[in-house]
Parts: sequence; C-alpha cells; structure tokens
Amino acid sequence: MTQFFKLFKVAFQAINKNRSRSLLTMLGIIIGVAAVIMTISAGEGASKQVRDQISGLGSNLMMIRTKTEHRAGVNVRMGRPLDKHDYEILKKNAVWMPQLSPLVALGAQVIGPDGNKSSTIYGVSSAYFNILNRDIVLGKTFTDEDVKTANKICVIGETIREELFSGRDPVGSQIRINKVPFTVIGLLTAQGQGVMGQDQDDIIIAPYTTIQNRLYGGTEYNMIMASATSENAIDDAKFEATILLREAHKLLPDQDDDFDITTQLEIQEVSGSVMNILTILLGAIGSISLIVGGVGIMNIMLVSVTERTREIGTRLAIGARESDILTQFLIEAISLSLVGGIIGIILGILGNQLVYKLTNFIIPTSVSSILIGFGFSVFVGVAFGYFPARKAAKLNPIDALRYE
Amino acid sequence: MTLKKVIETKKLSRIFKNGDIEVQALTDIDLVIEEGEFVAIMGASGSGKSTLLHIIGCLDRPTSGAYDLGGIRVNTLNKNELADIRNQKIGFIFQSYNLLSRTTALENVELPLVYDRTGKFSNYEKLAKKALEQVGLADRIYHKTNELSGGQQQRVAIARALVNNPALILADEPTGNLDSKNSIDIADLFVRLNNEGKTIIIITHEEEIAKFAKRMIYLRDGRILTDEIIKNRSTKESALKELEITT
Repeated sequence: MTQFFKLFKVAFQAINKNRSRSLLTMLGIIIGVAAVIMTISAGEGASKQVRDQISGLGSNLMMIRTKTEHRAGVNVRMGRPLDKHDYEILKKNAVWMPQLSPLVALGAQVIGPDGNKSSTIYGVSSAYFNILNRDIVLGKTFTDEDVKTANKICVIGETIREELFSGRDPVGSQIRINKVPFTVIGLLTAQGQGVMGQDQDDIIIAPYTTIQNRLYGGTEYNMIMASATSENAIDDAKFEATILLREAHKLLPDQDDDFDITTQLEIQEVSGSVMNILTILLGAIGSISLIVGGVGIMNIMLVSVTERTREIGTRLAIGARESDILTQFLIEAISLSLVGGIIGIILGILGNQLVYKLTNFIIPTSVSSILIGFGFSVFVGVAFGYFPARKAAKLNPIDALRYE
Repeated sequence: MTLKKVIETKKLSRIFKNGDIEVQALTDIDLVIEEGEFVAIMGASGSGKSTLLHIIGCLDRPTSGAYDLGGIRVNTLNKNELADIRNQKIGFIFQSYNLLSRTTALENVELPLVYDRTGKFSNYEKLAKKALEQVGLADRIYHKTNELSGGQQQRVAIARALVNNPALILADEPTGNLDSKNSIDIADLFVRLNNEGKTIIIITHEEEIAKFAKRMIYLRDGRILTDEIIKNRSTKESALKELEITT
C-alpha cells in the first residue's frame, strides 16, 4: 500500500466516524453554494426576462405624446392635445413611418357571459397589431373598414377570455363594455407579464373610432404610435414627425415642441440602465450570500480542525509526519467540500424549480452562478480545512497533545 | 553478557525560553538504559520528568548534550526523521489514552502501521489483533473506544504502542486517570510485557506503581537525585493485598 492510499483510508475513516461533524461541515458548503446559485440565477433571470420583453416590442417603435411637465407632483399637459388632424397629417406626409395608429385608452367595466372585470380598452387603428408585433391566435383583427365605420367589434387578451368566457372560444360572442355591446372577433396571443409586472393579456382592443364615438365622446388621442421603416431609420422618422407636427401646430421657430416623441431605443436605453442597477444589486446580494456562506464554511472548518488538535498531536506522537497530517486533512476537506458543493448545486437547481412552481417566475440556473458558487465554496472549504490543519501539524507535538 | 544500550544520554540539558525568562528544565542528565529494563521515573511536578520523557520520546529536542537511541544520534535529526524514529522505535502511552473516538479498538491499534514507511508490515489486522491479545482485549477488538472502560482504553493504547514492535515503550502517567484496582492491573501488564523482553520507561508520581519497575530514577529540579535498583518489587498480589489493608 502506498502512503497516499493509506492516508486516503484514514481520511475517509475520520469522515465516517464523525458523521455529525462531517454533515455540519458539508451543510455550510451546501447552503453557501445553493444560496449563491439561487440569488445569482434570480438576478440573471430577471434581467434577461426584462430585456427580452423590451426588445420583443420591436426596436423601431415610436410613441408621440402631448408634452407634459411634472409640476408640484402632478403631470400637467403643456401643449395642444393630439387629435385626428395630427394623425392625418402624419399619415399623409410621413415617408419614414409607414405604420401609424392613434391610441385612445379608457378604463371600463366589461361584462361577459361568465363574469365581469374592470379592464383597459385601447382604441387603435388596424396598424396597431403590426406596430406592436401582437398576433391573433383565434379569429381575426379588424380592418380599416371597421375603423371607418366605427364597428362595435373588439379583440381580447387571454386574461379577458379566462375571466369572461372561462377559457372558452370567445370569437363571435358579445361582451358589454360600459354597457355597450361589442362582438369579439379575435383573441390575442398570450404575452404574460410586462416589463413593469403588468398583465399584458388583460387588454381589449377596438377601433379607436368606435371608442371615441360610443364610449368616450372626445376627439383627443392619448398618443400616436408609429413604427419606423427600420431600426436605423428611427432618427429620421423622429425628425420627420417633429417637423410635420411643428408645422401642424403652427409653432414658431423660437417655440419649444409641444409634443414628446419617445422611441423604443430610448426606452431600451433607460431600462438598460435600470437593469444594470438591478444586476449590480443582485450581484451585491449574491456576494453577500457568498460571504455569509463562506464565513459559515470557515467557522465550521476552523472549529472542527481546532477541535482535533489533540488528535493531530497523538498522530504526530505515534510517528505521523507533518505531510501525513496535511495530506489527510486536505483529502478530508476536499472530499467534504466537493460532495457538499455538488449537493449544493442540486439543491440550488431544485430551489430555482421550486421558485418557478410557486411564482411562475422562470429562473434559468445560470452556469456562471454554479461556477462562482461552487468554486468559491470549495475554495473556502479547502483553504479553511487546510490552513488550520497545517498550523496544527506544524505545532510541536507536545503542544498539540496538551491543547485543550 | 553485555546488554544493548537502548538509551544513552550525555550531559543532556533542556532550557525553555519564555520571553526573557529562562527555565532550566533539565541539567546534565547522564542516563543509560539497557535492553529489557523497566524504569520508573519519579519526581514532583516541575522536576523535569515529563521533559525528559519527551526528549527520550523524540517529541522534543535537548538544548545541549547528546542523545543516542538504539545507537542513533537523534538530536541532530530533522522533523521527518524524528517522526519516523517515533514511529519505528517508540511506543507512546499517555495519561488520557489519546485514542481516536468512535473508532474501534482494532482501528486504533492499526494506526502506527499507517505511518510506517519501512514497508515491513503487511497484515495490519493480524498484527493489531495480536497486540490486543497481548493486553488481554481479544474479546473487545471491534468495540469502539467510547464503549470501553478507562482501564480497557488504556490497554488499547498499550496495544497501539506494542503493535509495530518498538524498541522502547514510553508511558506518561499511564495510571493517572485510573482507579487503584485498574492501576495495578495496568502496572502488572507492564511487568508481563517487560518479562517478554520489552524495554519500558514509565513516568509516575504514584510510588505503588513505580515499585512494579526494576529501577527507579528520582528527579529533582532537572537533575537525577537517585537512581537505584528496586529491591522489593511489587507484584499484582502484593499490591492488591496492600490495597485491601489501606481501605
């Protein structure tokens, strides 16, 4: 038998004989690894989800709104409201914005055959579906003709179908929006939660003309949505819209714009920086759990090795070399750290699954979190199993034997 | 007939330095112990007997003087060589047994063989069983240390000291944690081992135990005060009788 093999046996004997100590040591590592995997994965999962949703809206989206200013805590509208006149000027003259749709939003009580709900009704043109990349799973969208005639038809989202039709096929049925009957002609593809956590399927879309004529009564738009010909054309489109609207509003050169144009790129930039903050925050939480886990591992390793100083003394007295002691403790520390680390990885992945089951929030376990958590914990475990043992092995055997 | 010298020291001194304070623990110890001897070292606490045992046991090095163990000058050896000497030449017995807890008697006794680098032992289990038989624990081989009484644990420790057939058995207060009856049993065990040819040195402050030995060395203030052959050696029977009278 080689010396190493003999020491391997001794190390495993020691682990086996002191099961509770070994389990506690592993527990420190298990919790450390699992905590790191779960926090880092949650962070990466959240930022990925937000990024996906924002870019899913299409990067050539533009939103034109009346200028508002924040004064004394309230948003005050500064300019002329956008209306049919602006929309038609843009529609007739714009070359960089082939798709345009007004948007009139209205909160309303909706009643269906199986229930009722307060929801938001969006009045738009048929171009809306292209601008926002929203698809229909059942039925169809409305046409320009429907808009022109202010037809009482609507397209609903998945949440509305659940609440009002108990999940049945709603196409052809009638719902009442603020007591006005509308025929459902289509069902939108489900999109899930939005960037801000709002339900993107709790939505009813109808021709804006119908909303204005039958429900709202006003002529103003909340905004005009447009999509530029391409992502690269977005600056040209923005410039074009600015010129056309300034002319339409008869603004003098020294007057400021009385409208705001927000592009999807700008939203992405803003939310990108928000996400960076979120990532840093979650990284900080991850680091803290890493440190907490590390300190836990450190403690148990230090304590268990210190506790064994007398044992080390005995081994030295009966003829163990310093290197024999070191090899044994290194084997013990590596074995416990590796096994604990692997259990920790499994628990971390299961934990992510559990979070998904409980909250529907998908957390893809990130490879980097496994590497960071496992690597750090095993490093700490081995280092703090090794160095106290080294200290003890270097002791004069007499001092080690007398150690209390 | 000349017997082999197991231990020979010349002007052995040990000084402990603790900051500016120097403590002369041993001064000019000249000592020869031959094969087959059974020596008891006595002395008050602080007399240097533990220090002497540690140096003899290669756990400590003398500050000056020469120490030969079985013809090897050990005070110039390095750490690893000392560890090997401890492993091959010396069997240690401690006051508090120093066994591995929750481990069987057999595994404890096998331990010195684990650190053997000469490769001259092959069947660890057989050797360990033989050593346990020698100390009368043949029926406790698979008992864990925490399932054994103090006297039995000390026997396991003695078996561990015997297992690789060292030149010298060193016992540091081997009966210090035992009651009188068990102490006598352990002392008697040493006598039997000595009769089988083992060279044994024990430290004790109990005169009754020391009287089982053949030779008694009395230390005071780091010097050998007396060194004489014990004329009226105790036996198990005489010691037990005396125990009855005193109680």
